[in-house]
Amino acid sequence: MTNRRYLRELLQDSSFPSFLMLVLLVIVNAILQPNFFSYQVFRINFLTFTPLILVSLAQATVILVGAVDLSLGAGISLVTAVMASLMGDSVLSIVLVVLLGIGVAVFLSLFNGFFIGIIGPPPLIMTFATSTIWFGAALLLMPHPGGYIPETYYGLYTASIGGFLPTPVAVLIVAMLFCLLLGRSRAFRHVYAVGGNEKAARASGINVTATKIFAFLVSGVFVAMAALCVVGQTATGDARSGQGFTLNSVAAAVIGGIAFSGGKGNYLGAAMGGIILGLLINIIYFANITSFYQEFMKGVIIIVALLIGAVPRLRRGATRH
Amino acid sequence: MSSQERSLLKMANLKSLAANKLTIAAGAVVLLFVFGEIISPGFLSFGHVMSVLRLSVFLGIVALGQSLVVMSGGEGIDLSVGSVLSLGVVIASSLLEGKNTNIPVALAGAMGAGFAIGMVNGFGVAYVGIPPLIMTLAMASVVEGLSLIYTGGYPSGSAPALLESLGNGRIVGIPYVVLLWVLVIVAATLLLFRKRWGAVLFGVGANSITAELSGIDVKRFRMLVYGICGAITGVAGFLVLGYTGTPYLNLGAPYLMSSIAAVAVGGISLAGGSGSYVGASIGCILLITLSSILVALQTTEAVRQIVYGSLLFVIVVAYTRRRAE
Repeated sequence: MTNRRYLRELLQDSSFPSFLMLVLLVIVNAILQPNFFSYQVFRINFLTFTPLILVSLAQATVILVGAVDLSLGAGISLVTAVMASLMGDSVLSIVLVVLLGIGVAVFLSLFNGFFIGIIGPPPLIMTFATSTIWFGAALLLMPHPGGYIPETYYGLYTASIGGFLPTPVAVLIVAMLFCLLLGRSRAFRHVYAVGGNEKAARASGINVTATKIFAFLVSGVFVAMAALCVVGQTATGDARSGQGFTLNSVAAAVIGGIAFSGGKGNYLGAAMGGIILGLLINIIYFANITSFYQEFMKGVIIIVALLIGAVPRLRRGATRH
Repeated sequence: MSSQERSLLKMANLKSLAANKLTIAAGAVVLLFVFGEIISPGFLSFGHVMSVLRLSVFLGIVALGQSLVVMSGGEGIDLSVGSVLSLGVVIASSLLEGKNTNIPVALAGAMGAGFAIGMVNGFGVAYVGIPPLIMTLAMASVVEGLSLIYTGGYPSGSAPALLESLGNGRIVGIPYVVLLWVLVIVAATLLLFRKRWGAVLFGVGANSITAELSGIDVKRFRMLVYGICGAITGVAGFLVLGYTGTPYLNLGAPYLMSSIAAVAVGGISLAGGSGSYVGASIGCILLITLSSILVALQTTEAVRQIVYGSLLFVIVVAYTRRRAE
C-alpha cells in the first residue's frame, strides 16, 4: 500500500517525464556514440554539458520566481569578452580576472533583478532589451572573437581532479550542493511562493521585491559559473559565444518540468533538462547530419521536446489563458 | 456582443493615454530629424526624409504583423519574424529568377511559407500552450535552418525590373512603397477600429476568458493571428527583395529587435488588448531615423546595438512607471 503511494508520488513528480526522456536518450546515445560509457567520452561530454546545465539552473531560478531572463546568453558573451581581453599569464591576474568575471555576471543579473523587482516591467521584454545592450557591449569590447586565455586556465577546465574526477563534473557537484543548500533556505521557499502566487505571497507578509532580487542574484551566480566554464572550454572571448544559451536554457528548464508560469518544478529537473538537451544535440552530431541541417534539427528537437513537455500538463486538463 | 462593447469602452479610456504616448513618439521623431540636420546638413532635405520613410516601410510591414500578435494578448510576441523575412527573401528570389511574369507566384510563395510557419507558431502557442516567446524563438532557429537548406547556403535568383522599381522607384519624389504604406496604414486602422475582426482582436487580447464566453473560438483566433503575422512578414521579405535587388541570407535579422521596439515605442501595450497601428508606424519611423543618425555619426554595430537596447529599456521602464501610477 505504502509502496504504491510512493510510486504514485514518483510518477506525479514534475521531473518524472524528463527522467524517462533522459533514460531513452542515454540508450539512443549509447547506440550512436561508440564508447559512450567510457571515461574519455564521459569527460568530453561534460565539457559541453556543464555550461548548459548551469545556465539551465540559472534560468530555472528566475522562472521559478515568475520571471524569465533572455539576457543570459548575451551576459555570458560579455563575461567571456571581458575575461579574454584582460587575462594574463600570472596566477594573480587569472584570479583577479576570474573574480571580475564573476562580479560582472552577478552585476548583470542583479541589474535585471533590481528593475524587475522594484519597478516591475515585464521581465521578458526588459531582459530582451538588456540582452541587446550586453551584446553591444561585448561587441564593443571584442569586435572579433579572440583575446587571450592562458593554458593554466583552460588546462584546468579540461583536466581531471585526482585523475578521475573531470573538472566540469566537479563544478557540477559544487553547483548541485549549492542547490541543495538553497532548497533548505527560507528565502528559497519565498521564491516558490512569489512565483506561485505573487498577491498571496505579498498578503502573507513575504517581501516580494527582495525575493525577486534574491532569485536574480542566485541566477547570476549560476551564470557566472557557466561563463567561467565557457571560457575554459573555448579559450577565447567571443561576443557571440553565449548566443545559443538563451533558448537552450529556457527549453531545458521547461523540458525539466519547470512550469513557465512560475512556482513549480525543481533544480534536479532543470539539470536533467540540460543533460537531455545536451544529449539531443549530441545525436545531431553523431547521426552525421550535414551542417546545414544542424540548426534546423536543433530547433525542431526543441519544439518537439516542448510539445512532449506539455503533454502531462494537457492531460491534467490545465488550460492557459 | 457585450465584451465587444466593453472592450470598445475600455479602448476609449486607453485612447487618451495612447494618444499621449504617440505625441511623445512623434515629437521625438521631429527632434531626431532636427538633431540629424545639425550633425549632418542635408538630413532634413526632402530626398533624405523620403529615404528614411522608405526604409521605415519595410520595418512597418513587419511591425504590422508583430502588432497584431502583441495585441492578441496572452503574452503574444513573435521572435521568428527576422528569420521568416529572410526566408521570404530567398523563396521570392528563387521563384522570380528575375522575371516579371513570376511575380504572382513569388508573392504567393513568400506569403504562403510565412503563413504556414505562423500557423505552426500559432498552433504551439494556442493549442499546446507553449509560451509564445519560446515557441517563436525555437521556430526562429528552425526557419533559419530552412533558409540554409533551401538555398544550400547560396541564395539564387534576383528581383525583376518591375519589383525593383516598386522597391526603389519614386513618383514626384515620393517612393512607391511609401504610398503603399499609407494604404496599408489606412486599411489596418479601418480593420482594427471599424470592423468586427478588430473588435474581436482587442477583446481576445484584453480578456480571453470573456471573449471565450461570448462565443469566440479564442484558440483558433490566436492561431490565425500568428498565421497572418507570418504571411505579412513573408510579404515584407518579398518587398525587401525589391529594394535590395539580389537576395542575401539573414536580411531579416535586423528587423526582429526593431519590430518589437517599434511596437513598444508606438504605445501598443505588451500585455495585449490595446494600441494602434498608427502608433507602431510612428515607432518604425522613430527607429529608422535613429539608425540613420547613428549611421551619419559613423558608429559601429556595437554602439548601435547598445543604443537600440537602451532605448527599448528606457521605454519599457518608463511605461511601467506610468502604469503603476
